[in-house]
Amino acid sequence: MKKKIFDVCVIGTGAGGGVVIDQLTAAGFSVVALERGPYLPTSEFDDDELRNGVRDLVFSANQQESFYDASTGETTQGSFSRISHCVGGTITHWDGMSWRFRPDEFRVLSTEGAVAGASLADWPISYEDMAPFYEKAEWDFGISGSAGAHITEGPRQKGYPNPPHPYRTASTRIANGARAMGYKPFPIPLAINSKAHGGRPECMRGGSCRAYGCPIHAKATTYAISLPRAASTGKLDLRADAMVFELPQKNGRVTGARYLDARGDAHEVLAKHVICAAGTIGTPHLMLQSGSSEGLGNSSGLVGKNLQFHHFPSAVAVFDEDMRGYTGFEGHVAFDDLHPSDARRGFIRGGVVIEANIFSHQPIMHSLALAGEGQTWGAGLKEHMRNFSRTVHFAGICEELPMESNRVELDPTLKDRFGLPLPRITKTNHPNDIAMSIWYEKQLAEVARAAGASKVMSPSIVGLDIKLDTPVTGAEHNHGTCRMGNDPEKSVLDKWCRSHEVPNFWVADGSVMPTNGGYNPTLTILANAYRVSDYFIRESARQSL
Amino acid sequence: MSEHNSTEVTRRAALRGTAVFAGGLYTALNMPRPLALAAMENSSAVLLTATQWPTVEAITARIIPTDHQGGAKEANCVNFIDKALANEDSASAPDFRFGLSALDLLCSEVHGRPFAELSPEQQDSTLASLESGSAKPWPAGGVTAASFFELVRVMTIMGFMADPDYGGNKEMIGWQVARYPGPRHHQGGYTPAQMLGEEPITTLWGEEM
Repeated sequence: MKKKIFDVCVIGTGAGGGVVIDQLTAAGFSVVALERGPYLPTSEFDDDELRNGVRDLVFSANQQESFYDASTGETTQGSFSRISHCVGGTITHWDGMSWRFRPDEFRVLSTEGAVAGASLADWPISYEDMAPFYEKAEWDFGISGSAGAHITEGPRQKGYPNPPHPYRTASTRIANGARAMGYKPFPIPLAINSKAHGGRPECMRGGSCRAYGCPIHAKATTYAISLPRAASTGKLDLRADAMVFELPQKNGRVTGARYLDARGDAHEVLAKHVICAAGTIGTPHLMLQSGSSEGLGNSSGLVGKNLQFHHFPSAVAVFDEDMRGYTGFEGHVAFDDLHPSDARRGFIRGGVVIEANIFSHQPIMHSLALAGEGQTWGAGLKEHMRNFSRTVHFAGICEELPMESNRVELDPTLKDRFGLPLPRITKTNHPNDIAMSIWYEKQLAEVARAAGASKVMSPSIVGLDIKLDTPVTGAEHNHGTCRMGNDPEKSVLDKWCRSHEVPNFWVADGSVMPTNGGYNPTLTILANAYRVSDYFIRESARQSL
Repeated sequence: MSEHNSTEVTRRAALRGTAVFAGGLYTALNMPRPLALAAMENSSAVLLTATQWPTVEAITARIIPTDHQGGAKEANCVNFIDKALANEDSASAPDFRFGLSALDLLCSEVHGRPFAELSPEQQDSTLASLESGSAKPWPAGGVTAASFFELVRVMTIMGFMADPDYGGNKEMIGWQVARYPGPRHHQGGYTPAQMLGEEPITTLWGEEM
């Protein structure tokens, strides 16, 4: 029997892959979707902090990466990025913050000029190109928010489909502190239903979003929205536990994908097109394993380069009463007044400031991660534990300058459970970003004091210290390793996220982003996947791709 | 609690908590839950020996001491550690065993008595020497004193604050210390008035707060 040739093979089922799968099956294409992780039934989506937030056993049980410290030559093995390996991908355990990047965040190079040591670039598309797809993503994913309250946002045609969520005590305090400093706080746009929407219920504000699956699917995910819709078309063949290890090529085109199942047995699927959405680490990891020694579609040498995270300068503020930080979501309130770039501050770029109870909304992570000097054990630790319900955490989501030396490669020695090379991460920080983080922490501490906090800590928890001290987890915002652009020598993909070299190979995840914006990136990944899908469908009709 | 002017010190202290998870010291294995949970129902030792159990219990009692509220001893953190080392954290069991025998050696040489029989002050100074890496004698060829201390510290905190189903946090003592009402995904969440403190929240142990 002749082997079936699918119209499209999509690798990865997260924010990017899930949307592509949904859009292409709706347009009538036959799609085989390969997901390296297992299918988790909703009954796995509990709020056990140890299993989810601390041990990360639910979503990333088998995830392994290595971290290379170029200054010492030391390699550490671990799980740094907290990417989910499961049907639905990382968006399954996201916190739902859903921002549009600002117009200038699509043209950082022309806004700022070249910066030594950084590989700034303009996106090959503008905010105006992306705006209709932001709108599409906002309505498909039922964003709750207050349109117009975010005054530095680019122009929008339509408001949000859901009203904003109520604040908790902590949010009102941060908002008061921000107002006292002359800033304009507003509700964070969230992909969490404040009212029933899209066949999904209103949220119960139970307090476990980031690092957790939603048991009632009030939180919008590709698991709850895109994949069921795709399955209902009859056009989707979704294969979980399918670890793709090679994209075979013939006559300059990819022919499909080879993958290992849970038992380690190899399989091959054939497809006319391959759209890779394995994430900023997974996509270059796969491209570098495929093709010739330099990897698939890598004449530019840029596959895996320009790895970007975000910096999260933060303030941890202790108040004199219960802040109810364990209710609601990761964060409810934001202010964006510090975001516009201003070189007079001693650095360029910036980021939105969000209430982010990353570690202060559940007691194990609070006790482990936020302990100050003298609070790691003994009476000091117990006092720190007693501060749990009175602690509030807020942070900048600060744009990081891209650097070509920050990269994902194949680890030369360390292997995963299948014997495949681990993705190896190399990451240092640009001096601009260190100056930015230190400046932000000072401003956030001011806001905390203005809010009436009795104690303020500035722990620089994630991002900044990856190089300065030790590799820390928290690189869950990751971008840039297959940047799109108009010049094939300076980019991996064209403006439609199609390989400059391999005409039937496409990418639709965070790796396509030339720069990373000062906001949580997921809505941009969703919107871009709608944009790429739209082009693919239109061009197929026009020129039979 | 450090004020803002000691950012650098605070930063390093804060990082100690997170670094544990990335640095490979704390190694998690994906074990099926029913196995672990079945083990929790048994509060007698499954991995620790009869002499290791009181040593571990004594260490945990100094990491989270008892005051007007219960500490690690009352929360039965040693039971959590015993079950975790036999299940999800089995990869850390060799380090744990090495560290305990090294601690035995140290206490025997320095004090002539096992750790559990030392005074609280002696126990604290011994643990401080582990934490700083200055503990002597500490044999080579296994986990360092500082890494062993960090392993026990992290597991004690997990045992104090994790769901009681894991064998620690007995009677939700840890959650009472933290004023954390308990997980809410399957208890209907919170109302907007509760989120603002305008309506009380009934905790899982039946208190209104």
